Amino acid sequence: MKLIFNYIQSNTKHIPSQEKDVDLPEELKRRYLPLCDVNEIQIIRHYTELSRKNYGIDTNFYPLGSCTMKYNPRVNEDLAKLQGFSDLHPHMPASHAQGALQVIWELEDNLKEITGMDAFSLQPSAGSQCELLGVMIAKKYFAEKNETRTKIIIPDSAHGTNPATAAMCKFQTVTIPTDDRGNMDINEFKKAIGPDVAVVMITNPNTLGLYEENLSEIKDLAKENGSLMYCDGANMNALLGISKPADQGFDMMHLNLHKTFSTPHGGGGPGGGALGVRSFLEDYLPVPRIKKENEQFVFDSNKEKSVGKIHSFYGNFGILVRALSYLKSWGSDIQKVSQIAVLNANYLFCLLKEDFDVPYDRRCAHEFVISAKNFGEKSTINIAKRIIDYGFHAPTIYFPLIVKEALMIEPTETESKDTLDEFARVLKTIIKELKEDPELVKNSPHTTPGRLDEVKAARQLNLRWMPKES
Amino acid sequence: MNFIPHTKEDISKMLSVVGCSTLDELVSEFKPKLSELKIDNPLSEIELVSYITSLSEKNSAMKYFVGGGSYDHYIPSVINHLVSRGEFLTSYTPYQPEASQGVLQVLYEFQSFICLLTGMDVSNASLYDGASALAEAALLSSAHTKRKDVFVDDGLNPEYLKVLQTYCDGTELTITNTIDKNTACVISQTPDFYGNIKNPQGLIDMAHQNNALFINCISDPTSLAILKTPGEFGADVVVGEGQAFGIPKSFGGPYLGFIAVKQFLTKKLPGRIVGMTMDNQGNEGFVLTLQAREQFIRRERATSNITTNQTLLALTATIYLALLGKSGLQNVARASYHRAHLLHEKLRKNGFDSINTNPFYNEFLVKSPKPSEKIIADLMECDIFGGIDVGDDKLLVCCTEKNSLQDIDSYISAVSK
Repeated sequence: MKLIFNYIQSNTKHIPSQEKDVDLPEELKRRYLPLCDVNEIQIIRHYTELSRKNYGIDTNFYPLGSCTMKYNPRVNEDLAKLQGFSDLHPHMPASHAQGALQVIWELEDNLKEITGMDAFSLQPSAGSQCELLGVMIAKKYFAEKNETRTKIIIPDSAHGTNPATAAMCKFQTVTIPTDDRGNMDINEFKKAIGPDVAVVMITNPNTLGLYEENLSEIKDLAKENGSLMYCDGANMNALLGISKPADQGFDMMHLNLHKTFSTPHGGGGPGGGALGVRSFLEDYLPVPRIKKENEQFVFDSNKEKSVGKIHSFYGNFGILVRALSYLKSWGSDIQKVSQIAVLNANYLFCLLKEDFDVPYDRRCAHEFVISAKNFGEKSTINIAKRIIDYGFHAPTIYFPLIVKEALMIEPTETESKDTLDEFARVLKTIIKELKEDPELVKNSPHTTPGRLDEVKAARQLNLRWMPKES
Repeated sequence: MNFIPHTKEDISKMLSVVGCSTLDELVSEFKPKLSELKIDNPLSEIELVSYITSLSEKNSAMKYFVGGGSYDHYIPSVINHLVSRGEFLTSYTPYQPEASQGVLQVLYEFQSFICLLTGMDVSNASLYDGASALAEAALLSSAHTKRKDVFVDDGLNPEYLKVLQTYCDGTELTITNTIDKNTACVISQTPDFYGNIKNPQGLIDMAHQNNALFINCISDPTSLAILKTPGEFGADVVVGEGQAFGIPKSFGGPYLGFIAVKQFLTKKLPGRIVGMTMDNQGNEGFVLTLQAREQFIRRERATSNITTNQTLLALTATIYLALLGKSGLQNVARASYHRAHLLHEKLRKNGFDSINTNPFYNEFLVKSPKPSEKIIADLMECDIFGGIDVGDDKLLVCCTEKNSLQDIDSYISAVSK
């Protein structure tokens, strides 16, 4: 499809013309602005057409494992766009932004209750930035205790962000293998835990969609050792109203508001991050904190131990409005979300178990991992592309790395039984096609643009449009 | 509310397939089981709208003469209509390019726009916000030069400096006040926090003489419509905040971090990058590319840990730039410039001292003849948020094309009471 740069049209003039030039020294002035003008009708057609080349939750079942692609209630969009929020300048003094501070305060309060943590920071923009903040806090905490701890323990099933974050903060990652039941191997963990371990970073349920069965023992060993327990809460959609990560022994955890609390994923963001900590780490959270004084919300930047600041202002505030709205909609019924998310995953897992290799045959949490290794190498990518032909988005594939030809499927609670039945039927059909007409699957998708050449993209880099003049 | 489509019959049928008799039994493995959840009762949509609206109304509505990292530019109506389309809004990172050509082409256009505006060679598909984009640029410089010192020029947004300091502490970099053979990068903001447009050439030369990278940070990128590009000056990295491109102020987020580099740093870029390629039928298409840099492949050897970024805001900025086009963006910049200079002149005539040592764009610093708290309070009485108090009775004032001549007159009459 044509790029937006390839139109030559007249300007719609949203802004009155300003003929008068600016009075700046020539050496500071721009000589040439290589943009084009496109009229509004063409802009509408161009981006509407592009939107139609995209699958979203609104148009297609989107069982992308680890991403919690649940329905995004539209009313929350309206609420975030209320003028009192969307037009509010971030430098507005707290006295004139009481509603905004109350949103942050109430969301923190609800998240504390759901996770059992004692304090939250909503400054991070996404889960990865929460991890970075968490590891920075751990680093400062141990530095102040004059303890030299250089290692972070991470299971081999973990998201890549976990070791990437550890490395950013100059910690060494100790990778623990997964045992036959899909848990972090407790014997290997025992060998690894020692006085140099700062943090034990665990995703629970883990990325295999399984509850960590040795968590209680791991927690005891970590505590005895003086290490901090960090929970990657990407999979919190399994635990809402059922079990609190603080009760499981975690000292810190992050939530992805765009996953569990249904703020739209927006094609890859904005996300929303929330880092929760136990009270002994509260003073390390970024400033400003919000406190309540005489029924007024005020900013508090006077925190000596704080690691500092990780956002230009207060985080992705518009996302916080949506997350609070979502939480208020469910209120005390929130456990239904996780119960049905777990039911949907287990139901679909049972429908597919006979057809695929099952690396860990246990009851799953809100997602599960199956393997297409029995259908030959590269069959997972072929199945994923063929799924698109049947009108579904593909699951997460080739992750976790420890499962060969992995398909990681997370249906979420907002999908009906009919959709799950249909998805299972489609996967069974594709398996049949793989046997009867393998070329059909290998050359898929057939209903969308053809399979795209990623090798060519990386070898012959074309990362931008170039104007002809230059 | 209830966003679960299941009937009771569905649930019992599904439970029997799973081999459980109740939902509680299904989740019995998740321990320790919580005893009670102290959360308010669920709200229906009508109750929710009423409640959240009441919170929004506790915030004051003002006319803004304030920037400092968030700018009150006009947002054309079309943007919200297009950005709200569910196909964009409810999709995720384009891992399956065949089902994501829409978002991928948008990001390719975004990368192109950022390069065209900054005069740089390559842009990524977005970072979180201006401050963390700057911090990522410092990390990139350290990885590229294998050095650990970061030099920051005067006039960097103080909030950005705090974020940079936090990242430096966590990643073991040091902010120093000299440029030498240990310097990984030299950071300078244009215009700087106080509005000054400084010629960066001297700093760029000093950086390059020491084999350090020069990072130019942009706070209001509408300024790029009239200012010589950082690329042309010789910057190696340009980062900044894209909020000015059609994104609501929204109490500080979600905003749009951007980063663009010269060719030789392409493989050091953090985050997602979209590239053009071909499909198996010979048609042009787009994919995420250079993924070998990223955390999900390289894990502890990744260039950054960033995953989810700000795609929907990159879409917003792309549509904004397409809508305004060349003449629209120039009009925004010229109007912002002229309104700011008009207000500046009127303030001088009313006893305010001009503090800027350099030319300014749409933001300037004045010293107030009265205590700045009083000036700000007087303006607030007239529903005008008139400036950022930077101490010592100095006010940082900003104008955009939205500040009308009447607004400027109201401002002057409020401060000359």
